[in-house]
Parts: sequence; C-alpha cells; structure tokens
Amino acid sequence: MDGIHDLGGKQGYGPIEVNDDGDPFHEEWEGREWGIAQCARTPGITIDWWRHCRELIMPIDYLGRPYFDSWAQTDFSTYIEAGWMTLEEVAGGKGGTDDAAHGEPPAAMTLQQVLQEDHDHAHRFDGDIDAAPAFSVGQRVVTASHGHAGHTRLPQYARGRTGTVQAYNGAHVFPDLSAQGIEVHQHCYNVVFAASELWPEASGSKDKVCLDLWESYLSEA
Amino acid sequence: MTDFDAGKIAEIHEHLHSHLPSESALRVKALETLLVDKGLVNPQTIDAWVEAYTEEIGPKRGARVVARAWSDPEYRKRLLEDAPAAIDELGYLGKATAHLKVVENTDTVHNLVVCTLCSCYPFSILGIAPAWYKAAAYRSRAVRDPRGVLAEFGVEIGDEVEVRVWDSTAELRYLVMPQRPAGTEGMSEDELAELVTRNSMIGTDRVLGRE
Repeated sequence: MDGIHDLGGKQGYGPIEVNDDGDPFHEEWEGREWGIAQCARTPGITIDWWRHCRELIMPIDYLGRPYFDSWAQTDFSTYIEAGWMTLEEVAGGKGGTDDAAHGEPPAAMTLQQVLQEDHDHAHRFDGDIDAAPAFSVGQRVVTASHGHAGHTRLPQYARGRTGTVQAYNGAHVFPDLSAQGIEVHQHCYNVVFAASELWPEASGSKDKVCLDLWESYLSEA
Repeated sequence: MTDFDAGKIAEIHEHLHSHLPSESALRVKALETLLVDKGLVNPQTIDAWVEAYTEEIGPKRGARVVARAWSDPEYRKRLLEDAPAAIDELGYLGKATAHLKVVENTDTVHNLVVCTLCSCYPFSILGIAPAWYKAAAYRSRAVRDPRGVLAEFGVEIGDEVEVRVWDSTAELRYLVMPQRPAGTEGMSEDELAELVTRNSMIGTDRVLGRE
C-alpha cells in the first residue's frame, strides 16, 4: 500500500539523532514489548501480515509514537483480530470479561532456552519451485509502475525504474501473498539502480542503491 | 486464528487510537497484563528475552565475526560466500540472519544499510537496532542522500568512493565488513574486535581505530 511507512526518499524529517548510547532498551517497557513480540504470536500469523498490520497504523500514530509503542499497537491489533482479546477488554485495561479464556500460562523459558530458540528461529524463506528464473545476472530490468492496496515490498521510490540484476537470491516466499496467509515462492533478485536513475539531484553521481525484488515486480527492460 | 482482514485491522487501529492510554509504558503494561491473565504468555519468558538481548546478543557478535574475517583469510572467504554458515561456526546464527549477506568496504566502495519500509535488521549478530536506524529521518534519507547522512555521522566520503546503499526489502539482511585499520597487523582477534563499532557494521562509520 502507498502508506506512511514507505519512507524512502521522502523529505522533511529533519536531522538524524546520531547520538546513541548503545543500550538496546532505554525504558523498561521497550524491553517488555520486545519480549512480548518474541513469545506471543497468534496461530497462522506471518511476518508479512504482522508488517502489514504495522503499516495500517494511522499515520499520526505511525509517525508520532515511539518505535516499540508501534510494535505494541501492532500486537494489540493482531491479537484482537485473531480473537485473543476484545476491544472492550483492551479499553478496560483488564482481561476478565470471559473466564473461559483464562488459562494456565505456558511454562517459563530460561535464558538458555530463549537463546536456543533464537538460534532455531533462523527461519529460511527460500524454497524450490519448478519455473526457471526469468532473469539472469547482468540483465537490465524495469520495475512495476504501481503497487497495490495490500502489503508489497517494492517501495514507491523504485517503481518504474530501470536497474541491473546483480545477484539471484533463490525463490523466496512472496510477501504480497504471505501477508494474506498464502505461502508461494517466487524468484527474488538483487537489483542495482544508479542513484541518478532514482533521484533528480543525483545526476552525475556514481552512487548506487540495491534492492531485493521479486520477479513479478520486474519486466525485461 | 489470524483472519488476514486488513479492513478489520484498520478499524481496530482507529479504536486503539482513541482508547489506549497515551503513555507507552501503560499501553505495554496493559498488553502484558491481558496476555498473562489469559494464560497466553509467561512473564518470566519475557524476562528471559530481555536478558538475552541485553546481556548475550548484541553488536559484540558482529564485531567478533569481522575481527575473525580480518585475521583469517579462509574465514573471510567463507563469510563472503555463505555468511549464515560462517556466523553459525561461532554460534551466532539466529533471528533474521538465515539469509545474511556480508558486503565489504574497500578503498573505492562504501556500503550503507537501511530498511526504508520497516526496520529490518540482522538481530542475532547486531542485537536491537539503534533508535536512529528505526526513525523516519534515517529511513527516508539513507537512499536519497547517503553522503549527507554519512556527514551527519561525521563520516566524510571522498569523490573517488562509490556509496552503495542496501535497502532491506526482502528477508536478506546485510552486514557491512569495514576495512581493517592500518597499523593493526600485530593485533590479536580480541584486540581487533574492540575496534569494530556497531555503526561500522551498518555503514554509518568508516575509518576505525581512531581516537
């Protein structure tokens, strides 16, 4: 979707807060939210659906609220949509309207178990498909001019632009369908664009921008 | 069960906008309380995830990978060819690194990593991303004005250097291998790892080992 999340090349967001003390969390609630997002996922959820739910946050909240706060809101929305909790419960700040929903918590995981799960969570998104890749390394390709209302990973700034395939990544789960719960693999390529192809002020620049793009985003140039 | 109903999610966000407490700490407290009350999470497991990403998993892992690649040409070769396997030799494979790629800085190339669409980051080797990486200012400008962004970080890039920006649009994740500083020939891997900054592995730092 052409949402507020698609920030590449947008202007007016001011200087970067370059000073950072290196701490992973600066407030306790940020760590709590990180932990919740790791261990409370609704059945059937995909990473692309979760990302789409975050994109659907109202622009004023998406830009105006702290980062991990937007994760919390994304989690709330997925839990409510999946029936884990209701809007009434959330507005009331307490579970307890439905005793049947209460259960014993899952067993506590230790640090060692969590570290093992992190290691095991090296989830691969590639798989075999019958079709041969349509493009080869070195080939010129042009990206689609338009996106669509759903989740997609072709940013606005790189639409309708010509680049060169510089690597074949394998067939990866296609995010536009994965965000609808459908797992289909599609060939994915790294495509390099001259900065001057993307930005008017980059005329004469030798700089490059590289994106990983799925085959259906691309046509032969 | 997840319904994948985007219209419903948009409606829920409107309700949440009006009905959630405005303080982030209270929102997350409410979320955790509901999940615990309903028996959906164990708060001690949340504690363990916080501890894992505070004490164990962080940019020290990435720095170790870079230092080993600087010290061991065979490791460097394996890392550039198959980064997930190479970091797994050190036990660092994990969240968001199954499709890791290492991109190497040279005298004539500087690499910079961003995620313009969300905040993709190689968690299991760099830990939690710095706030600036996830903020609109960096996400919007890194692809359009990388040299301006680098200047804000105090990094000057000469005209002879090509800047290559990697926008993390798929499940591949990028780790920048900074150049080994001059004058470090006699250093051990441990000493070298101390020189590698987190920013240098994202690309917002370039010349290492300067005071």
